[in-house]
Amino acid sequence: MLRKTFYFLLRAVRNMWQSPMLTSASIVTVTVALAVLAFFAVLVQNISDVTRHWSEEVQVVVYLASKPDAAERNADIQKLRADPAVVSVAYISPEQARNSFRQRLGADEDLIKGMPSDFLPASYELHLSEEMRSETGVKQLVERLRQQPRYRDLRYGQEWLERYGAIISLLRVGGFIMGGFLLFAALFIVANTIRLTLYARREELEVMTLVGATPWFVRAPFLLEGGLQGFVGGLFALLVTFGLYHLALRSQLATLFMASGVGQIHFLPAAYQVYLLLTGTFLGLFGSLVSLRRFVRISP
Amino acid sequence: MVKLFNLSKSYGRDLHALRDLTLSVPKGDFVYITGPSGAGKSTLLRLLFAAEVPTRGQILIGGQNLGRLGNRQIALMRRKIGVVFQDFKLINSRTIYENVAFPLEVQGKKRYEVSNKVYQVLKHVGLEHKLKRFPKELSGGEQQRIAIARALVIEPQLLIADEPTGNLDPEVTLEIMELFKSANARGTTVLLATHDRQMIQRFPRRIVSLEAGRLSADTES
Repeated sequence: MLRKTFYFLLRAVRNMWQSPMLTSASIVTVTVALAVLAFFAVLVQNISDVTRHWSEEVQVVVYLASKPDAAERNADIQKLRADPAVVSVAYISPEQARNSFRQRLGADEDLIKGMPSDFLPASYELHLSEEMRSETGVKQLVERLRQQPRYRDLRYGQEWLERYGAIISLLRVGGFIMGGFLLFAALFIVANTIRLTLYARREELEVMTLVGATPWFVRAPFLLEGGLQGFVGGLFALLVTFGLYHLALRSQLATLFMASGVGQIHFLPAAYQVYLLLTGTFLGLFGSLVSLRRFVRISP
Repeated sequence: MVKLFNLSKSYGRDLHALRDLTLSVPKGDFVYITGPSGAGKSTLLRLLFAAEVPTRGQILIGGQNLGRLGNRQIALMRRKIGVVFQDFKLINSRTIYENVAFPLEVQGKKRYEVSNKVYQVLKHVGLEHKLKRFPKELSGGEQQRIAIARALVIEPQLLIADEPTGNLDPEVTLEIMELFKSANARGTTVLLATHDRQMIQRFPRRIVSLEAGRLSADTES
């Protein structure tokens, strides 16, 4: 078994050595396709980091019909906290609301002079758990809260939420479509490049089958070759993306996102880097397999 | 060794390469397959090593029905058959040694066993001094001797040759025929397609004649 694997590996490496142009073409194809994919993934990932950061601002404000007494307030807070969508609850008394309103008015604070201290309603500010900071999550929560008649009004920045949801789904769908296209294009090109390699070696393949090579014996070195080329392509793609990230992307993105208050721009996490290598290997393997099915026939 | 029953091969509706051929070749026999171009000689040989599938009829080789074999079993069956072509079919990117060693490598034989056998068979065809050369550096006759060495290195039960001397001059033809004769003397069944009358007269053996895909004569000469 070990001897056979070694033999296949030797043949695969020798094959690549004997046709350096085709081998480089395959590797470059995988590298380019996966580098574009990885580059895009870095972008998407950082943009979604930013939007997640923004979404922390998503909150629901519950305005009360009347100012609650201490017992009512404690009961409300406990009940609200029990909701799985709610992470924390802050009570804002009419006086606190008035103060913060006054601060926001700044120089125009005279406008509310003479108004009673409780002219603004008391309210609870609810901070939501991350998975509930979506349009549907918030709406479900609001529906639940409407059951309670003492909660006079509920505010949750509908418009902002809708836009946020749209951006996130655009990114996701765009990412999937673009990634899918790139992978498909890469697969197509890799398969064709390997087909060229096979075409160049068709006499060898023919002789192999004539002298009694089993289908797998013929295919194994080519599969290994495809897999190796894909892996090397993936590795190069990772290096290229990492280089680009360090040279340009990191500072550009940092400038772009500075205003949003996101502290750091990240490269792909380790797991994604491994996925990239695996994707490269898979591309090479699958590309070979597709071509081999056409080329290697033991009998008609 | 080889038994054919009502074997037919057609390409499309109108082209009948072989029609209703029944033939038996005992073990150790030496048989010429002759006939004019297009008589079906090459088709018959290609059917024997399963490079083609018959339209009708059965082929038995060493008791195995080819029609019932899967890809893997066909591969294993080919390991008992040596095939020699008019155009040699050597791998030009590999050395003579590698070309001859190829069938043994495919069978997963150990390295020392491979080198031993390759050297012996190259010596037998008289080209042991050229094992590091490439096919294109050799003459046509030498290339055919290499192709025969590749066929013989597996010690085949059946040796199939399609016009093996078709491209070679008469002197070289004699050398090549000696190789087939000696393989046959060691017990290998030989099926040799040719239309070279002189050669048949010089080395008389059983002759199976084909004409327009049919068996026209089967004579012991």
